[in-house]
Amino acid sequence: MIKKIFVSIGTYMLFLKMVFRKPEKWKIFWRQFINEADKLILSSILLVGVISVFIGGVLVIQTASNLENPIIDKMYIGYMVRESLILEFCSTMIALILSGKMGSNISSEIGSMRITEQIDAMDMMGVNSANFLVLPKVAAATILSPLLVLLSLALGLVGGWIVVNATQIIPPPSYITGIKAFYNGFYIFYSCFKMSLFCFLISSISAFNGYYAKGGSLGVGRSSTKAIVITSILILMFDLIVTQLMLY
Amino acid sequence: MIKVEHLYKSFDGKQVLNDINVEYEAGKCNMIIGASGSGKTVLLKNLIGLMEPDSGEIFYGDKCLTGMSYVQKKALRQNIGILFQGSALFDFATVIENVMFPMEFFTDWSKAQRIERAKYCLEKVNVIGSDDKYPNELSGGMQKRVGIARAIALNPSYLFCDEPNSGLDPYTSILIDRLISDLTKEFNMTTVVNTHDMNSILEIGDKIGFISGGTLLWQGDRHTILDTDCKELKDFVCANTLARNIIEGRK
Repeated sequence: MIKKIFVSIGTYMLFLKMVFRKPEKWKIFWRQFINEADKLILSSILLVGVISVFIGGVLVIQTASNLENPIIDKMYIGYMVRESLILEFCSTMIALILSGKMGSNISSEIGSMRITEQIDAMDMMGVNSANFLVLPKVAAATILSPLLVLLSLALGLVGGWIVVNATQIIPPPSYITGIKAFYNGFYIFYSCFKMSLFCFLISSISAFNGYYAKGGSLGVGRSSTKAIVITSILILMFDLIVTQLMLY
Repeated sequence: MIKVEHLYKSFDGKQVLNDINVEYEAGKCNMIIGASGSGKTVLLKNLIGLMEPDSGEIFYGDKCLTGMSYVQKKALRQNIGILFQGSALFDFATVIENVMFPMEFFTDWSKAQRIERAKYCLEKVNVIGSDDKYPNELSGGMQKRVGIARAIALNPSYLFCDEPNSGLDPYTSILIDRLISDLTKEFNMTTVVNTHDMNSILEIGDKIGFISGGTLLWQGDRHTILDTDCKELKDFVCANTLARNIIEGRK
């Protein structure tokens, strides 16, 4: 079991070495980059948006119900919702959700190319298939994913504001004051950095599992499931490591 | 010309290729034949470099494949066209984009030149008017043709075909066989076809090597195969009704 883990890590590193070679032609790379940005990031906007609005609303209700203390100013509810969104929800939770959507997309796409010999065909033409297929995905996911963090944060706060206005659970001006209070710009950077790291893990590990898929369509399904399980665990592990390193 | 010398390959202690010595000539349809599991696909994969042999040498002209660096292999591969068993057309690309794919990577041709060349290759394989279709919109025979068009896009010196007739009806099979044979002669390519289809063998086999149990048991051509004394090959040949009838008719 331990030997298997080390063999997998070694193979993953060699795979990354193939991926991070200079592209054959930059023009082809940028074209693929734009395609992948559309497929992986833009197509996730709706999912991220809907979840963020609802979670923002839920956070307001949960925080308000736990802070029913006359001594504590109501604006702290807005403040705590914002901090929860920035520090954990917009990066880690969204990444866990994306590991399912993005991870299964990448893994099954590359896996089915592997079992239908399309990757072999590329290799036999002299094309570095790992570089051509995976680098644009990893680059698009890693570079553009912070935009999803910012979008999620904005829509999460909007979701909270809608609930505050609809239920009057706290006075709306207090909520607005709270989400503007004690702003720390570093937290935004921290959250964006985490998201980039998580999306790097999601895209590269899913691609790795798809690239080495075997055993027909069942194998593609297995590689997809494996990719999601591994990335979910690694996201939580790296969340702990990065938080310890950057915030403490 | 491709020359194979003392090629051995095993998996988990099981010998799959055993001292293979063979020469594939330019301008000819060289065939690797044998029953399923005989080792012919492993031999083909060794020939194209998708597998490393345990020992032995494979020469492309005077260059040895087994000792080549990554860059040298990459250069050689641009001179090799391959038709995979399932065609292996790229799902994300249309017919014409599939044919243009290797040109995009390895030539500095303008888009107009690439389109012109792709259309020429598609015409050669008789696929006309399907440029903008995706592979899943084509029949099996059409996919094979597009696969051949893509394989010859860069005008390669070597063409490898892995079971080009699998899954095709007899009529389309013969058309594909003749296409491979005609292109081989027209472009003077060294073509290696991996098959167990007797019709193909009798139709286009200029040079035939029969593999059984990982050993090359017999070499000859389509004119001599029916007169073989090799028992294993005789059993293989007579499993085909047409070949059996010819042999019995001769008797």
